[in-house]
Amino acid sequence: MKKTLLAGASAGLLVAAASAAHAQSIDYGSLEQLFNEPVTTSATGAPQRSTEAPVDMTIISAADIERSGAVDLPTILSRVAGLDVTTWGAGAADVSVRGYNQAMSPRLLVLINGRQVYLDHYGYTAWATLPVQLSEIRQIEVVKGPNSALFGFNAVSGVVNIITANPKFDQTGDITVRGGSARYGEVSLAKSFKLGERFSARFSAGAAKSDEFDNTVGVAKSQQNEPSRVSANLDTVTQLTDKAELRIEGSYSNVQVSDMLSNYAYSPSKYLTGSLKGTLTAETQVGQLQLSAYQNDLTAKHVILGQQARFENKITVVSAQDLFKIGAKHTIRLGGEYRHNEVNTAPIGGAEVSYDVLSASAMWNWAITDKLAFTAAGRYDSLDLSREGAFPAGSPPLGNGYWDRKIEEPSWNLGLVWRATDADTFKASAARGVQVPTLVDLGALQARVSVGPYTLGLAGNPTLEPAIVTNYQLTYERALPALKAQVSAKAFVQKTQDVKGQPTSAQIDVAPTPVSLPVLSYRNIGESKMTGFELAASGELAAGFRWNADWTHTEVDDEPLAGFSPVLRSAAFGATTPENRGNVALGWTGGPWTADAFVTLVGDHQAYALYAVGANPRLVDIDAYAAIGGRVARTFEGDVTVALSGQNLGDSRQRQSAGLEVERRLYLSVSKRF
Amino acid sequence: MSKKKPVVALAAALLAVAPLSAHADAAKDVQIAGRALTFLENGPTGKAVLGVVFDPSKPASVAEKNAVMAAIGGGLNTGTLTLTAKPVEAGAVSGVGGVAALYVTTGVNAGPVGAAAKAKKIITIGSDASCAASGACVMSVSADPKVEIIVNRGAAAAVGAVFKSAFRMMIREV
Repeated sequence: MKKTLLAGASAGLLVAAASAAHAQSIDYGSLEQLFNEPVTTSATGAPQRSTEAPVDMTIISAADIERSGAVDLPTILSRVAGLDVTTWGAGAADVSVRGYNQAMSPRLLVLINGRQVYLDHYGYTAWATLPVQLSEIRQIEVVKGPNSALFGFNAVSGVVNIITANPKFDQTGDITVRGGSARYGEVSLAKSFKLGERFSARFSAGAAKSDEFDNTVGVAKSQQNEPSRVSANLDTVTQLTDKAELRIEGSYSNVQVSDMLSNYAYSPSKYLTGSLKGTLTAETQVGQLQLSAYQNDLTAKHVILGQQARFENKITVVSAQDLFKIGAKHTIRLGGEYRHNEVNTAPIGGAEVSYDVLSASAMWNWAITDKLAFTAAGRYDSLDLSREGAFPAGSPPLGNGYWDRKIEEPSWNLGLVWRATDADTFKASAARGVQVPTLVDLGALQARVSVGPYTLGLAGNPTLEPAIVTNYQLTYERALPALKAQVSAKAFVQKTQDVKGQPTSAQIDVAPTPVSLPVLSYRNIGESKMTGFELAASGELAAGFRWNADWTHTEVDDEPLAGFSPVLRSAAFGATTPENRGNVALGWTGGPWTADAFVTLVGDHQAYALYAVGANPRLVDIDAYAAIGGRVARTFEGDVTVALSGQNLGDSRQRQSAGLEVERRLYLSVSKRF
Repeated sequence: MSKKKPVVALAAALLAVAPLSAHADAAKDVQIAGRALTFLENGPTGKAVLGVVFDPSKPASVAEKNAVMAAIGGGLNTGTLTLTAKPVEAGAVSGVGGVAALYVTTGVNAGPVGAAAKAKKIITIGSDASCAASGACVMSVSADPKVEIIVNRGAAAAVGAVFKSAFRMMIREV
C-alpha cells in the first residue's frame, strides 16, 4: 500500500493514505507510553491516569503477571496490598478486599473487559471458570472499596476488572506449555491477527489439570473433583467507519473443581459457561457513545447437602453510555442499564426465580484547578423480583405473589484528588455500595435437610434486604525520586448494614405449621464495621533490583441484631478476618534473566470448620502463616522463555483454612512469543 | 577592558551550560510531543517533519533546539509516527513549509510565532507551560517530574486540531 506524502502539502495536518483514522476504543498501550503510567477506565468510566483516579486502584501489569510465576489469578491477587485470598483446593479460592472473606465471597465484583464473570446464581466468582489466559491480559485493575456507582450491584468491597489485549492495538502471540508437581499440566495459546484493514481479532484457548491437594482433613472423596479446566475465547474488533467500531467477544469454559460452598462443605462442582458480548462505540457530536449487550450462560452442578443440584443461570445485560466533556474542565458520563437474571430452583426443581433491573447512572469529574480534581458519581438501581412455578411439598403456603417485590437503592462515589506538590498527593473518598441478595438467597435454593429424625426445609428469602456498604478513605502518596521509590498511607472506615447470614440448623427461621415444614433461610442479621489502615512502599535499587512491601491492618466488629449469632450464621467476620496481612517482594532482572521472590504474610485468625450434618457452625483457630512464592526465568533466542516457579514453598503442606491444606507446588513453563 | 572580557566570557559560558542542563529533558519532552500528535483526529502518521522553532539571540533557546535536534536524530519513533526535525528561526515561521507541527522552545517570543503558525493552520507545541496557557501554542508538554500536557482549546480550534476524546479527558485543557 503506497503512502504519498506530498512535500509541499503541509497545511498542518496530514493524512497518510494507508491508514484508517481510529475511533475511540481506549488504546491502553499508547496512552500508557504517553503518560508513562498505566491508564484505566474502571474508576469513573472515563479514561484516567492511574495516579489521578479518585478511587483506590492498584494496577497489575502484564509484566507483573508474567514475573509472578503464578498459574492462576487468585495467587496473583494474593500479593496485592489488602487483599485476602483463601485457597480451598488446587482450583478453588475466594478473594476479598480488606476483610470479610468467606466461602463463595459475594462482595467482590469480577469482570473481564467490563463483562461480569462473577456468577450471579450463588453470588461468587469461580476463578477457574474465567475464560482468559494469563498471557492475554494487559492489566488487572483492582479497585478497593465500593464502586457500585459505576459497576452496579455487588461492587461493595471492591472490583477486579481484567483488561485483555485489544485486538486492534495490541499484537499478541504466545504459546505456553507448563508442567508441575501433583501432575500439573497446562497448555495455553493466545494469538491476534488482522484480516484486511478493518478487522482484527484475538483467539485464545487453554486447558489445565492437576491432582487435588491431598486430603488430610477428612473430606469425603465423593465431595471432591480433580481440578481441570478448558476454555476458549474469541475477541474481535471491526472498524465500521472512521468513527465507529464494533467489538464482539465470545467465550466458553468447561471446568470441574472441588468447590467450598457457603456452608463450608466441599462440593464436586462442574461448570459450563458461555458468553457473547457486542459493544458498539462511536465518536459523535454528543460525545463518545457506547452501546453494549451481553449474555452469560451458566450451567453449574454442585452437590449440596448430599443432593445433586443443577443450576441453569442466564444473565442478559444491555447498557448504554455517553461520555463527553463540557468546556475544558468538566467530564460527564451518563449511563443506563437493563439487566435480566434468571435461574431454576435446585436441588428441588419445578420453579424459576428471576429479576429485572433498570439502572440510571451519572458521573461528573471537575478539574477544579490543575492540582485539584473532584469526582461525583451516582447510580440508581430498581430491581423487580418474580417467581414462577410450583412449590415443593411441605413448603409454607406463600404463593408466587410473595416474590413480587422491588429493591430500589442508590449508590454513589465521591472523590477528591489534591496534588499538593509534585511529590505529594492527597485523596479523600466516600462511597456507598449495594450488595444485592443472590438468586439463591432470594429463593432459587430449595432443599430438604434431615437433622436427626427431623426433616427441615431449606429455602431462599425473597424479603431479604440488600447489604449496604459505606466506605470512607483518606490516602496520602509520596514520591521519593531520590530513592527511586514511592510510599503511601491509607486509612479507611467501612460499615456494612443488613449483613446477610446463612441458613443454619441451629435457628429455625419459619416455624412449622400443620401443613408445612420448619424452614431454614437467609436473614439480615445486623451490622458490621471495619476500620483499618494500609502502609505500602515500592521502589527500584541499583543493578536491576526492585522491591515492594505493604502492611494492611483491619479491625472488624460485628454488631448483630438481638436474637442472631454471627457464628451460627456463618457471618462472624470479626473473628474470621485476620487483623494483619502483608506482602514483601524482591525482584531482579539482568540480561536474559529475571528472578522474583514473594512472601505473603497472614496473621492469626479463625475460620469455619468443615460442615458436619447435625452440627452447628463453629470456629477453629488458624495460626499465622507465610506463603512464599518465586520464579526464575531465562529468555532465549527466538523469544522462548523457560521459567521455574513455585508457590507455598515454605512447607510441603500449609494450613490456611479449615479445608484442605495448601500444598507446595513447583512449575516448569516454556513459552514462546510469536 | 581586559578584566571584563573573561567575566563576560565566563558569564556567556555559564549561560550556555546552565540552560543545557535545564533542558536535559528536551529528549523526553519531544517524545511526549511526538506521541501526543498521534492522538489527533486525522493527524499525521508514518513520517512527519517537526519544525523546531528557536530564537537565535537567546542561548537557552538555541541550546534546547540543539538538544531536540540531537534527540530526534535521523528519526524519532513515537508510536505510529516517525518524526524528523528541521530547525526554524522564530522570525521565519511565517514562511515555513513541509512541517506537520512546530515545536516551540522556551525563550522564543511565543506570541508572534503562535500567530504566524495559526495563520498557516500549523499545530504548535511548546516546552513552556505559559505558551499554551497564553494561547500562543496549541499544546505544552513537560516530562519531569510527571508527564504534563496542556491543550489550549481556542488555539486548537483556530488551527483545526481536534484531539481524540480519550486524550482530551486525560490532559489539562485551558
